Amino acid sequence: MSFAANLILASVRMAVPLLFIALAELYSERAGMVNIGLEGLAAIGSLVGFLVCFVTGSAWLGILAGALVGVAVNMIYAFATITLCANQIVYGMAINIFAPALASFIYRVYFGTGSELSQITLMNGIGIPGLKDIPFLGDLLFNQTPMVYLAYLLVIVTVIYFGKTRSGLNFKSVGEHPKAAATLGIPVTKIKYVSCVLCGALAGVGGAYLTTCYANTYTEGNVAGRGFIALAAVIFGRWTGGGILLACLFFGFCDALQIRLQVANFGLPYQFFQMIPYIATVVVLSLIGAKKAGPRAGGQPYRREER
Amino acid sequence: MTKFKRALTSFVVPLLSILLAFLIGAVIMIVLGANPLLALKYLWKGAFGTAANLGTTLAKATPLIFTALCACFAYKCGVFNLGGEGQFIMGSVVACLIALQSGLTGFPAILLCLVAGAAAGGLWGLIPGVLKITRGQNEMIISIMLNYVATLFMGVIYTSWLRDQNIPQTPAIPDSVKLSRVFPNMRFTTAFLIAIAVGLILYYYLFWTSNGFKLRAVGYNMTASRFNGFPVKRYILASFIVSGAVAGLGGAAELLGTQFRLINGFGAGYGFDGVAMALIGQLHPIASMVVAIFFAALRTGSTTMQAGTGVPTSVSDIIQALVIVFTVAGMALVKLPEFEAFRLRLSGGRKKEAKTV
Amino acid sequence: MEELLRMEHISKRFGDFYANKDICLSVAKGEVHTLLGENGAGKSTLMNILIGLYQPTEGKIFLNGKEERIESPSQAVKLGIGMVHQHFMLVEAMTVFENIILGDRNSKGLFIDRAARRREIEALAEKYGLDVELDKLITEISVGAQQRVEILKALYHGAELLILDEPSAALTDIEVEGLFAIMKKLISEGKSIIFISHKMREVLHISDRITILRAGEVITTVECCKTTGPELANLMIGRELAPSHYEKVDRPKGEAFRLTNIEYNKNSKHNGLSDVSLTVGRGEIVGIAGVDGNGQTQLAQIVTGVLTPDAGELDLKDKKIAVFNPNGFIEDGVSLIPEDRNLQGLVGNMTVADNIVLKQTDTPQFSGGKGFHLKKKTIESYAHEMAEKYDIRCASIDQEVRNLSGGNQQKVILARELESKPDLLVAVHPTRGLDIGATRFIHDCMIEARARGVGILLISADFDEILEMSDRILVIFEGQLMGEFPGKNPPIDEISLAMTGK
Repeated sequence: MSFAANLILASVRMAVPLLFIALAELYSERAGMVNIGLEGLAAIGSLVGFLVCFVTGSAWLGILAGALVGVAVNMIYAFATITLCANQIVYGMAINIFAPALASFIYRVYFGTGSELSQITLMNGIGIPGLKDIPFLGDLLFNQTPMVYLAYLLVIVTVIYFGKTRSGLNFKSVGEHPKAAATLGIPVTKIKYVSCVLCGALAGVGGAYLTTCYANTYTEGNVAGRGFIALAAVIFGRWTGGGILLACLFFGFCDALQIRLQVANFGLPYQFFQMIPYIATVVVLSLIGAKKAGPRAGGQPYRREER
Repeated sequence: MTKFKRALTSFVVPLLSILLAFLIGAVIMIVLGANPLLALKYLWKGAFGTAANLGTTLAKATPLIFTALCACFAYKCGVFNLGGEGQFIMGSVVACLIALQSGLTGFPAILLCLVAGAAAGGLWGLIPGVLKITRGQNEMIISIMLNYVATLFMGVIYTSWLRDQNIPQTPAIPDSVKLSRVFPNMRFTTAFLIAIAVGLILYYYLFWTSNGFKLRAVGYNMTASRFNGFPVKRYILASFIVSGAVAGLGGAAELLGTQFRLINGFGAGYGFDGVAMALIGQLHPIASMVVAIFFAALRTGSTTMQAGTGVPTSVSDIIQALVIVFTVAGMALVKLPEFEAFRLRLSGGRKKEAKTV
Repeated sequence: MEELLRMEHISKRFGDFYANKDICLSVAKGEVHTLLGENGAGKSTLMNILIGLYQPTEGKIFLNGKEERIESPSQAVKLGIGMVHQHFMLVEAMTVFENIILGDRNSKGLFIDRAARRREIEALAEKYGLDVELDKLITEISVGAQQRVEILKALYHGAELLILDEPSAALTDIEVEGLFAIMKKLISEGKSIIFISHKMREVLHISDRITILRAGEVITTVECCKTTGPELANLMIGRELAPSHYEKVDRPKGEAFRLTNIEYNKNSKHNGLSDVSLTVGRGEIVGIAGVDGNGQTQLAQIVTGVLTPDAGELDLKDKKIAVFNPNGFIEDGVSLIPEDRNLQGLVGNMTVADNIVLKQTDTPQFSGGKGFHLKKKTIESYAHEMAEKYDIRCASIDQEVRNLSGGNQQKVILARELESKPDLLVAVHPTRGLDIGATRFIHDCMIEARARGVGILLISADFDEILEMSDRILVIFEGQLMGEFPGKNPPIDEISLAMTGK
């Protein structure tokens, strides 16, 4: 297959974990919760996913476990920021320190400190018969692991949810103008908690994907900043499902590109290529500027009116 | 609340968090089949028991003090500098280049390395700072991205440009450029003294100078500061640069004092650790330094603990992480109006509250 | 007419303070009932009780003869009460259509049935003459259109009783006419309206009955056709001219500052200034009277350099100002008692002593070597001196200033601003929320400053204060100055009328 086709395929594959994590943040921010602890959530999701897959042999159970642990850890964040009104940014950082430490601890306890890395078998791809034989598009769209299909499905569900359902409209209002939502009888606090559950689950899934479908081992730091790039993807994608998909594809492309450039060996040390996704994020964010886009009440604690 | 009472309350939350974290740590130890009291004994011995151990603790504390001060100073101005790691690394990279390439030796070399390291860190901190001033937000994500860029750049240095033959590390810096130990049998070097000095200087600046006073005002209330004529943007930019410089200085000092070469994993995690310590230290420079030493003690002691009782070192990581989780939640809890009402009810209104008139 | 709403003996207490005291209000079906009163008269509190945000300390509410307890906003909506707040509760990033159907409980189904909902909304809009563009974003439509959306939203959720809170505050004259037409249509279709306003022209034009509130109590309820503007103004402000405690000054000695043809955001009546010219002399107090939200905020911020005017000139002590920044103005001798003491004046987390010397930490008095070493002992004793002189009551000057009561916080600001020997003092609502003792003290300080030759611009919605303190009175309404009146023997009726736009 040609270099370009290969590149595009790889972009898609590398965009998927980012997509899960970015969608996680979308649900969170749409309810006014800015969660920068995604990196931590993905880290522990990836560890638990790996562990469960290792023990049970099922990648699916690993993914599920990743989701559950993501929810559990994110509930700490939810309680601290929604009920105790702690600063969301500060507490997100706390999660970024806590969750990887927890992940590391569990790994050491279970696998010991030997340098040999345990391995699992990756999730199998599922080709959709017939469609997968279409040249190029077949491989791209119809011959991937189920998680990829799930990711696409999730994008579609998200777009429909926020665009066309009554519940989705109410959900969005919580992040835009919680006071107005409250006067209309919308349960603001409940929706905020729900958004944290979704965020934790999807970020955990994104992390679990990394160790069950992408690589077959767990190493510390394997999330490699995706949790933060996801934050940028949400901004870049203008807080819409479709936009985030494109943003993640872009960053996935940067990721895929830099690997290929390394291999192509232009004489430049490979780390310069590895920098591409990160520098791309900086450039993109600087260009977009920070006009107060995104849910207007994002990051602000919600306090009930006096009764 | 008087100054004394305020200080007391800000001690209580971190102290309780530490106790609670240790309690949970003890539970984990029991589950793993170890005796927590024995483990704690080994922990203490490992951290402070002998002169050598104390020396290692202080040596480990040194880079943490720098990054904690970096985060602390930035946050005092209301700025979230999450790029401490990148600034630390850039400082060490520049110091390494000078140490290996410049041909200078002795004290002038050391001085140049440290100053250049600070400058590099300051410049690296300037990037998100300028973007915040001109474009508004997102300095957070940008500074974190720059952490990765810095780490990769350091990788370039030790894997290709200044590689030590076939090993992915730079050659060691010449002995004359190394910082010397304060006591021959203790690992910590003059780097530790420099860190303490920086901490004291920052403390003095923040609490005893007019500029520091204004900077804190800006961090507390930007609007009132603006109305009272303070040049808010200038202070924000300065805080990015200074905090970056402190981190950069830390990186240079770590290179010259402890590591002597750039290698994979240099500086890893120090940035976020620094943020954690600053938060636990209630953003006070002196308290942050104490917290840094405490955390270093935990880390140093935990290897002895593992050797003595089999409790893995990662338990101490968990304890550290729990401390921060509890501290920040505790700080938020204490600020809630419901908590204030609860506290007043407890004291039965006997306290002479000045809400009269 | 049949009675729709009856509020009986409603009281609302916050601590020791009665925001509403023994209020009885009756609204008939199909009438426009106006609530008239100054800032702080208790209108907002009463309405918040009606829409379920507050619970009354005492009293009962009857709707259609049946007693109801309104315990939450959604319950108020269910009972057919809808409110259009002064600050709109609209989501700016959503369209008109989306805002109207938000929180809708009546439709069934997961998906929004856009076609059906649109038909319903368009029918309603047609019936009540509310012209709206359903697919535009809130940010894209005019303020008048936004208000129509709010009204339509209330109607869509089934409101029979509509509360309009200062609806004309942000509208142009033409839009106000449009609003009246809509109100008439609503009435003709059987709805009832509670109309809150301080603008006499409108009140007289549209009301059926008027209830006047003052200091949390009902003064009386009158029929519109049986009263006049001056009588209402009197009832609303309700004071005889009590002799002021202070002497008035006739001729100031020179000019402290002068504004000429200042314009800021001039198309906004709520947040702008249009062709404002005034002078404040040295040793004189000029009072700007007017209900909140007529441009006072902008005026204060321009005179202290926080905002830059779009047009016009400002002269400080006969020197024309080119650059507007707070630091320059402070150095030129301008002091400010700000509108919002906690947001704009004090650094809450710093101590009383810190806040007193906030602007002076560079001076040789308080620091050695140009700010290099703060003389903490000196600062402490100075703060003690100031606390003594300005009667600041606190447990200690090391206390965080946010823990002080409002009155004492204001005294801290006063200490800071007056001791810097300003030439011009701008005081915005300086005694808002303070008790009599604190108010008197602050007024005494201001008079003392006046005697020392300070020019004072006093901006306040508290009419008592303006009458008490001013040597000259100017009235601001919708961003314009409505007239100048003497401070000695002020013509209260004329001033009241001017405050309401006539």
